[in-house]
Amino acid sequence: MTSFIIAHLYPNLMNLYGDRGNLICLQKRLEWLGYDCRVKSLDIGDEWNFADVDMIFMGGGSDREQSLVYDDLQCKKEELWREIKNGFPVLFICGSYQLLGSYYLTGQGFKMEGLNYFDFFSEGGPKRLIGNIVVEVKNNNETYQVIGFENHGGYTYFNDTTLRPWGKVIKGHGNNGKDHTEGIIFNNLIGTYLHGPLLPKNPAVADFFIRVMMARKGINIDSGCLTDKIENYARQQVLAKVMKIKS
Amino acid sequence: MKQLRIMAAVLIGKAVLALSRLWGNQGTVLPGYWARKVYPSILKELSAGVKKETVIVTGTNGKTTTANIIAHILRENGETIVHNAAGANMITGITAAFVAASDWKGRSRYDYALLETDEANVPLLLEEISADLLLITNFFRDQLDRFGELDHTIDLIKRAVDGSAIKLILNADDPLVSCFAQESGCEAYYFSYDANAYDQNDSQENREGRYCMVCGAPIKYEFFHYAQLGKYYCPNCGNKNPQADYRASDLLMRPFVQVSVNGNRIQSNLPGYYNAYNILAAAALADHLKITPVIIRQAISSFRSTSGRMESISVGDRECVLTLVKNPAGFNQLLSAFANDGQEKNLVLILNDNPADGRDVSWIWDVEMENIMREDRHIKKIYCAGQRSGDIALRVKYAGWPQDEISIAGDIKQGIEKSLRDNSELIYIVCTYTALFKTRKILMRLKNSGYSPKNRYESPLSEH
Repeated sequence: MTSFIIAHLYPNLMNLYGDRGNLICLQKRLEWLGYDCRVKSLDIGDEWNFADVDMIFMGGGSDREQSLVYDDLQCKKEELWREIKNGFPVLFICGSYQLLGSYYLTGQGFKMEGLNYFDFFSEGGPKRLIGNIVVEVKNNNETYQVIGFENHGGYTYFNDTTLRPWGKVIKGHGNNGKDHTEGIIFNNLIGTYLHGPLLPKNPAVADFFIRVMMARKGINIDSGCLTDKIENYARQQVLAKVMKIKS
Repeated sequence: MKQLRIMAAVLIGKAVLALSRLWGNQGTVLPGYWARKVYPSILKELSAGVKKETVIVTGTNGKTTTANIIAHILRENGETIVHNAAGANMITGITAAFVAASDWKGRSRYDYALLETDEANVPLLLEEISADLLLITNFFRDQLDRFGELDHTIDLIKRAVDGSAIKLILNADDPLVSCFAQESGCEAYYFSYDANAYDQNDSQENREGRYCMVCGAPIKYEFFHYAQLGKYYCPNCGNKNPQADYRASDLLMRPFVQVSVNGNRIQSNLPGYYNAYNILAAAALADHLKITPVIIRQAISSFRSTSGRMESISVGDRECVLTLVKNPAGFNQLLSAFANDGQEKNLVLILNDNPADGRDVSWIWDVEMENIMREDRHIKKIYCAGQRSGDIALRVKYAGWPQDEISIAGDIKQGIEKSLRDNSELIYIVCTYTALFKTRKILMRLKNSGYSPKNRYESPLSEH
């Protein structure tokens, strides 16, 4: 049986509120499609081998934890960038999304270096951006409404105007609460502020990663072959609630 | 001079109490904090005024419920008591309880002091007050105890009681507790459950007392009641359950505990094995205080759990158990409480996202929801309701529950009525904060209107 391995980066440091819901989601959906999927934890000091894993996931963490992770990533930085350019599927949320840019200047004036893959930066804003969020993204040439929750003190701005935000904010704040952009997409990498269980409530995004993982093993699947009855109910319930509220 | 300081401390404490109540708080800790600031020996002075006995209830689980049951028995017996409120079980909270129960001159007005005490605070408390009885429910390691804190705490309590005249009421089925008297040399009385139909020869649950507390060798079990509670022996040194003074036999949980304690048949309104131990511990202690079996039996049968702590409400022939959950830890505890109770049950999960519930519902993904799949939890059907019924239903689906067997309603009333119509006698209703009061109201209205779940046309339903 074909089996998949998803690397969970620094689960002991970068695992805020419910981030593991994303891994549960990918694992279960692959299982329902008839494949085996295992999550492999990679902590500080662990060796990585890209040939052994099919996807990388990293969640959010506190500022202190984020800088510990940054230190450990130094020796893996080049290899990870090479893989990202080759289309390796990657999902980075919140603090780990900020790490992809050049730096994060916290509200307390503490500057944390980033991996500098992309020319964007983050800085502490006047207030934390908290609440339900709806983002319109392009998925398979169709628009799809991504629903989630954001809670971040960092405001992210793109210097490089050729960078592609992941989507357009319909309700909520997104990258900085001003330019209606949310996250970043590059090849098969997504960086986003939508923390917690992003994938269970947005099965099209989960299936995007699943299709990429499969394609890299030479398997093709039709999208939407799983029944997403409850997913759709949950999406409608939140959409109805959020779209009524003034932004 | 001393009398003046006592009065000043009590007055300050009472003033803080009045202010915090005005402010909308319960005032369970701050009055004690300030009274101690004014006169550090205030607890020592006030506690000396207890007319009959001072009882400390400690242990990892069940101390609130056990102390509440004992308080109820004492009150039913016509005694006046000073009893600290749930959660305020540190020195300051206990001081606050004494301040509130004294008159403004600092004179006592109580027969008994009943002090629910955090394990780590027992040694501190014993430095200030002289207690007559110490009841230990059990010692469980929680997930945060990775550094052997429990062993350290047990050791400190042992040293605090060593050589004192305090009498111990101990759980004979918990190897971490039962060996307590041997080293301290105190007079001890034990309570224990006889073998019964709910026992297991083995279970997957974490066992804490795996090593003999006397010699350190691995211990063996004849059977388990639940977790590490059971009939054990050490093949190396012969350490085993002490002879019980209070024996609980003929246990029934349907789901409410019925048990005979030394032949006194008790019927309660509390479900689960953990409550069976709370009831036994309370009955043992009350008997030790010379309360008659009749009063004990009557008081336990009229004891009701306070709102949100497994409150039971019967609607027709359905037994609904209402529980509040606020975080993954509480939810996990509830799911493990289902283990080994032998009761088939339906679950109603109600998730709201108002500010008081937490607007972010992500935490449900940190719950070990996969436990609903385990056969020993005996869950038959799952209903989801509330403002975020979709989110909780998704969590249930991704825990492995077949999605066609998850019933969803947005409306709480509709969700509850659906679950009542199913043919399960026992329904656990698990709510977040703002859903709890609404749910309780709905259940009370259904109960009082004589709603019969068997008649499906009695209440008009709007299908979702």
